[in-house]
Amino acid sequence: MYRYDAFDQGFVAERASQFRDQVSRRLAGDLTEEQFKPLRLQNGLYLQLHAYMLRVAVPYGVLSGGQLRRLAVIARRWDRGLGHFTTRQNIQFNWIKLEDTPDIIDALAEVGMHAIQTSGNCIRNVTADPDAGVAVDEIEDPRVWAEAMRQWSTIHPEFTFMPRKFKIAISGALEDRAAVLFHDVGLRIVKGKGGATGFRVYVGGGQGRTPYVAQEIAAFVPRDEILSYLEAIMRVYNMHGRRDNIYKARIKILVNALGIDEFRRQVEAEWATLDKAAINLPAAELARIAEHFAAKPLVKHPAKAPKVEARRKSDAAFARWMRLNVLPHRVPGYAIVNISLKEPGMIPGDISADQMETVAELAERFGGDELRVTYQQNLVLPTVAVGDLDTVYDALIEAALATANTELITDIIACPGLDYCNLANARSIGIAQDIAKRFADPEKAEAIGPLRLNISGCINACGHHHAGNIGILGVDKKGTEHYQITLGGSPKDDAEVGDIVGPSFTAEALPGAVETVVATYLERRLTQSETFLTAYRRLGKLPFREALYGPEKPRRAAASELEIANV
Amino acid sequence: MPSIVTANDLRSGAVVYLTGAGGWVCDLPHATVVDGADALKGLEALALASVERNEVTAVYAFDVRLVEGLPEPVSVRERIRAAHAPTV
Ligand code: SF4
Repeated sequence: MYRYDAFDQGFVAERASQFRDQVSRRLAGDLTEEQFKPLRLQNGLYLQLHAYMLRVAVPYGVLSGGQLRRLAVIARRWDRGLGHFTTRQNIQFNWIKLEDTPDIIDALAEVGMHAIQTSGNCIRNVTADPDAGVAVDEIEDPRVWAEAMRQWSTIHPEFTFMPRKFKIAISGALEDRAAVLFHDVGLRIVKGKGGATGFRVYVGGGQGRTPYVAQEIAAFVPRDEILSYLEAIMRVYNMHGRRDNIYKARIKILVNALGIDEFRRQVEAEWATLDKAAINLPAAELARIAEHFAAKPLVKHPAKAPKVEARRKSDAAFARWMRLNVLPHRVPGYAIVNISLKEPGMIPGDISADQMETVAELAERFGGDELRVTYQQNLVLPTVAVGDLDTVYDALIEAALATANTELITDIIACPGLDYCNLANARSIGIAQDIAKRFADPEKAEAIGPLRLNISGCINACGHHHAGNIGILGVDKKGTEHYQITLGGSPKDDAEVGDIVGPSFTAEALPGAVETVVATYLERRLTQSETFLTAYRRLGKLPFREALYGPEKPRRAAASELEIANV
Repeated sequence: MPSIVTANDLRSGAVVYLTGAGGWVCDLPHATVVDGADALKGLEALALASVERNEVTAVYAFDVRLVEGLPEPVSVRERIRAAHAPTV
């Protein structure tokens, strides 16, 4: 993974000392809240319901064991012993005191971490495929480019005060595991003529109030030219993005107002005027960054380990974990291990300081000292020798981290919602817990098959509800929390925004409604391998709607639509 | 409707409630409940002075109901804040 050089380290240390000074001036009253707020936000510090919240950057979701240990120290010393992984591959601490933040930022800087680009109208932390560098279907390692973009975008003067925040995701594999089509800019590494790699570029995707799937703006940009191409996109957006209306300020609104063809024309015209050589990544710099991500030589192992195979036969729970949470690695004899932070009944994405230390130790002992954070709020040990899988599993059981539910209905994405978030309409965590408990039987969950269930506490959609096969959105209906169900969303290559199925439900009624949706799918699926999403696309909304609200009558339908408009 | 003035403590971020004496308390039942625009204005002036002294931030008033003489926030959000903890 990338290790800071003296320049990076110096920059982060300087930012830490600037922030210390800013905090002390605020506490002394030399800065008003109005003056201080943009400064704290540029350092990831929000004010939430109960306390300050510090959002720490985990660039493209890559962490070392030592960094996770440091996060454990922070959780224990300055929080309530917990951290919360987010859908941006970052980690949040929910119980932070302003007066402690300079020390926390220093503690982060010591291990090459910070909270920059986790807030504000800048290019946010670039996100990437959590299986980067180890996936069997990878064309090229996206981390190299994510790191180049980190360096290019950090405190870039032109991109620090944009109309709105800007999110970029990169995938270097055949399968999209980074939800690239729901980002302001989504990048797919592809092979061009003659085998050279470049980027397929998508623009204008996003969730929130006005969800859009990104559209292709360029089929192939040679990789050496991607930074100047991105800069051209940023320029057009910076020039024309709606600064007058926060709800219309994201690039998706601009792209859809202009149309993709006109937007493309403007970007290409801008690109032609840029001094590309000055912006593009020099070959030597690319090589320097790429070296950090070069695959470590791995000791050869047989593809299967007899003791692991024996355990698989004798221990059904282990076999299930192997089936669901362990993925093939590009090197035979190794595996990718998904660590679920979704034990039914627990808070999705939450991890205790003790658990962090367990995972850090596993990474150090068995995982080449590397970890990944997924946007589904789980962790990944990217490289584990197959012969160590049983040992890793036993250690995960000890730490209550061995839940086998990757991509199942209990692998719920949920935002912090009204339990913590200042913008929330409704709680999401309790809803996630209630639903997960209904499907806690692992056999039942596995029989349902792959099913993404995502929950957001408000229309900002941090919990990706639009992209859930089943999406749940918290709304405020005359002062009580209600939940709207959407069906058919997908974050993958077949990205789609879910359809609202009908009027919203109370918190009490919602888990039962989800059970009804799932039962309807199970009754009607053609075979066990027809996934929820495929079945929904075949069946459409109607059978689900009728199961939830009773047989369709034209007049009643009209009344329900009215109600939807009012929530 | 009766209301209470709240804020977050500047240093800790903790939820606090204003008293008629101009101080801040953590426990909602110890907050001063006012009814009517004029009384609320008086409280808000006290809160503003505290903001100027850099004691608190994010000041606002919210509605409460009196249940057996004790204030109970009308909104779920304020009930969660008053508990100083998530509900999960
Ligand atoms: S979706 Fe809404 S409630 Fe949930 S974290 Fe985002 S802003 Fe907060």
